[in-house]
Amino acid sequence: MITGSTIIFYLLAALTLTCALLSVSTRQIFRAAIYLLFSLIGIAGIYFWLQYEFIAAVQIVVYVGGIVVLIIFSIFLTQQAGEKLAKQKLDRKIFSALAVFCGFALTMLQVYQHNFNNAATTSAPTVADIGRKMLNVDQEGYALPFEVISMLLLAAMVGCIVIALRSKPETK
Amino acid sequence: MWSFSNIANNLHEWLSNTFNPTMTLIIEMVLAGVAVIGLFAALGLVLVIMERKVSAWMQIRLGPNRVGPKGMLQSLADTLKLLVKEGLTPNGADKFLFNLAPFIAMIVAMLLMAPIAFAKDFQLWDLNIGVLYVSAVSSLMVISILMAGWSSNNKYSLMGAMRSGAQIVSYELSAGLSVLAVVVMTGSLQVSDIIHSQADGWWIFKGHIPMVIAFVTFIIAVTAETNRAPFDLAEAESELTAGFHTEYSGMKFALFFLAEYVNVFIVCAIGATLFLGGWMPFHIGNWTAFNHVMDYIPSSIWFFGKTFFLIFVIMWFRWTFPRLRIDQLLNLEWKYLLPISMINLLIVTAMAILKWHF
Amino acid sequence: MFITKYIKDVYNGVKSLLVGMKRTLYYFTHHKEIITQQYPDNRDTLVLPERFKGEVVMPHDENNEHRCTGCQACELACPNGTIKVIFKNELNAEGKKKKAIDKLVYHLELCTMCNLCIEACPSDAIKMAQTFEHSVFDRNELTKILNNPGSKIMDGVE
Repeated sequence: MITGSTIIFYLLAALTLTCALLSVSTRQIFRAAIYLLFSLIGIAGIYFWLQYEFIAAVQIVVYVGGIVVLIIFSIFLTQQAGEKLAKQKLDRKIFSALAVFCGFALTMLQVYQHNFNNAATTSAPTVADIGRKMLNVDQEGYALPFEVISMLLLAAMVGCIVIALRSKPETK
Repeated sequence: MWSFSNIANNLHEWLSNTFNPTMTLIIEMVLAGVAVIGLFAALGLVLVIMERKVSAWMQIRLGPNRVGPKGMLQSLADTLKLLVKEGLTPNGADKFLFNLAPFIAMIVAMLLMAPIAFAKDFQLWDLNIGVLYVSAVSSLMVISILMAGWSSNNKYSLMGAMRSGAQIVSYELSAGLSVLAVVVMTGSLQVSDIIHSQADGWWIFKGHIPMVIAFVTFIIAVTAETNRAPFDLAEAESELTAGFHTEYSGMKFALFFLAEYVNVFIVCAIGATLFLGGWMPFHIGNWTAFNHVMDYIPSSIWFFGKTFFLIFVIMWFRWTFPRLRIDQLLNLEWKYLLPISMINLLIVTAMAILKWHF
Repeated sequence: MFITKYIKDVYNGVKSLLVGMKRTLYYFTHHKEIITQQYPDNRDTLVLPERFKGEVVMPHDENNEHRCTGCQACELACPNGTIKVIFKNELNAEGKKKKAIDKLVYHLELCTMCNLCIEACPSDAIKMAQTFEHSVFDRNELTKILNNPGSKIMDGVE
């Protein structure tokens, strides 16, 4: 049974997968970043399609607005416009294809073994629910992981400062 | 009584009686798309002539006064000129991305139109994270600029793109924090909830001084986010010729130009919705007679009036202040706007918990 | 103290911005005080400044007499060869041959309105006019002869 909804899903999935493939196969580094961006937008689209708008918006804010912009910035600062990357060696290609296949197999195995709840039985969480869960210290709360992850961010920031300080001349 | 919501409802009823549900949905989508594109074209024409007239009057000039009555058709003539101009693509450019970039700018502007309430019960998509959606999608604006800057294969474009990237990424923070002030007060991210919470007074009046501070930081931050003077480093004419759109010409340039003005309209509409009550009429406490007179003015006029007032304020900034240097720009954000809006958010949260607002 | 300086900075910054905005708002609301010249519309009432220099002309009096002796000082003073003096021989009252100007050719298209020729002229024969609508369809029209046909030098000018 083909409905408008499934057509939209397949379109989004096709966009995501094609852009992901193009992203790893193109030899222009800036195009790779842009394809990665479209791939991530496709995933956000699938979240919208699932009506989990919060996750979709966070996907766009964090991945598209944050990480891809950072990647593009590092390309701007290090690469020359209009140059192509060198072709990769064959053994490296085979190794990365193998790694991708293993990861894919692991994911698919998990997906097929997991017993999914029917979507009708769970209600879409509101932003307030997510907030309560995130800052809850009870049995089902996520306060501890949330704080641990913020420690990781702190460590990253301290690392940045250390790297930035090193090149400073010692003498006054 | 004619209102936008009545027209929309009647149209919906007529369509569902005439066609089957799927067909109705498709027709409604097409109609909404056409309406948005029509609004874009109208906004482009109106805002360009408005900008030129405002700038002229602020500099004690007359402004355009040849085409049409008082020069009011000038922007139509400009559009015609841009339509018939040749769109050049430079030889060394990355042709695919070069041609894609202006369309990305337009698509992002169109996506941002979705959650804006233009009149009472007249909204394309009232999703439950409306404000977050706007700040998420508006972070895509920078992508088209970066794309245009890189693919032009031009030093000026690249510099402009990098400046605008640094600028948008940093000013998004204080814009987000000042939006959060309203969200904290309302307790909802949904646009319609935020508007309904202002039925007894707009947030800028109900929220005392912290809300005024939030409003000012919001206006400054969105001026920077839309790359308008005094924050127009990305296209600083005297330094970078035209920044990221140096190599663009004809209709592709016009799309960038239009996207800039539509973005100004959108951020002003968001500002009007959050701080000035969207389509809510101006009410004062118990003055029933006064409130009735205010209710008599259609909600769409309230919305567009507030939005165009904010657009005027942003144009006022542009024609008053000199352009900032890049270090001054980043100082303003990281040393002034961000700490102030963080402390302000703290105060607003305390106010919301203690119910100090009206 | 750091925090008082910070607050003072913010206060002064906002205040100075508001002063600027007040000024532009005044201009915006008083747009009758336009300072620009509405040029093609006010051609009849246009008043140019006294020292405006449009082109070189040679004034003649009512007897069609000018003050040019043909001394070529203007031609020598001109930095880009705008002026050419062409001579003719003329008989004066005593029947003696005398050198006088036939044509004083002036190339407006080369002139930069630098005023050096007027300053060099010992007999004040040429001056700067205030005309400025010089555009023509044919370039030849820009080569002008400054003395009127049949004009001669004024008596008493050496």
